[in-house]
Amino acid sequence: MIWREEYKIGVELVDEQHQELFKRLGDFIQTVRSDQENSEKKKEVERTLNFMGEYVVTHFDAEEALQKRFNYPDFEEHHQIHEDFKAEVAEFQEKYSADEYDDDFLLEFSGRLLTWLINHVASTDQDIGEHINSVKEKEEELK
Amino acid sequence: MDVKYLNPIIAATDSVFQTMLSVKPEKGEVSIQEDLVTDKEANVIIGMTGDIKGSIVYSFSKEMALKVVEAMSGMEMEELDKFVTSAMGELGNIISGKATTGLAEQDLSCDIAPPQIVTGKNINISSEADKVLMVKFNTDLGEFDVGFSIN
Ligand SMILES: [Fe+2]
Repeated sequence: MIWREEYKIGVELVDEQHQELFKRLGDFIQTVRSDQENSEKKKEVERTLNFMGEYVVTHFDAEEALQKRFNYPDFEEHHQIHEDFKAEVAEFQEKYSADEYDDDFLLEFSGRLLTWLINHVASTDQDIGEHINSVKEKEEELK
Repeated sequence: MDVKYLNPIIAATDSVFQTMLSVKPEKGEVSIQEDLVTDKEANVIIGMTGDIKGSIVYSFSKEMALKVVEAMSGMEMEELDKFVTSAMGELGNIISGKATTGLAEQDLSCDIAPPQIVTGKNINISSEADKVLMVKFNTDLGEFDVGFSIN
């Protein structure tokens, strides 16, 4: 996946985690689009999807902890977006492992994830950075 | 049919391309058409309900759709496969979601439906609308049209 400087929100921890998340989603997509033999591919798809899914949880937890620490006003709404996304990934993992989804659905799911994650980082998360940095500035002034 | 309804869609298109792709779309001519006919191969249709009933249609050339997905994924795309069309569908979904926020500022409350994808050449997208507002865009990644049909 392509990372751009403009995607940064100006909070180091979050920016680093976003880049790691991009890497893991990139690995997953690469696997989805590879032409390996079927059973091999399924194993790799599951592995890279789990690897990404784990990090989604790690990152969302860390990002939400920061939002709370800085009293981010849109916390509830943002939390819900994260919950919905996690639920969607979890449902896909489950059904894919149970052979309920075909290859077309795998392509559709990963394509949507690509665009969704970029928009979430490049647009939705920007407000968090703005908020945190303005709180920090005010704290500096009071010192 | 009022062209002012088109403005939130134009603004949303502009902002999403800039934030996600660092690409500035140049707005071309705006026209009013009888039917939604397009020569572009990758079409994303977003149904709209609420104060405005109709649909927004994003029509990308095949080349542009491939380039957009390449610019996001960093991987080479050769065909309009399910991965590419789904990624473009989500892009249409995001732009339309933003557009409804803009329409809300004109006191119009609208909801959007999940994207539908239509691919192929010389497509006539039928709708109940008798007029379609069309705007053309040019970008570094290619050309695309956005149509707004209101029933
Ligand atoms: Fe987030």
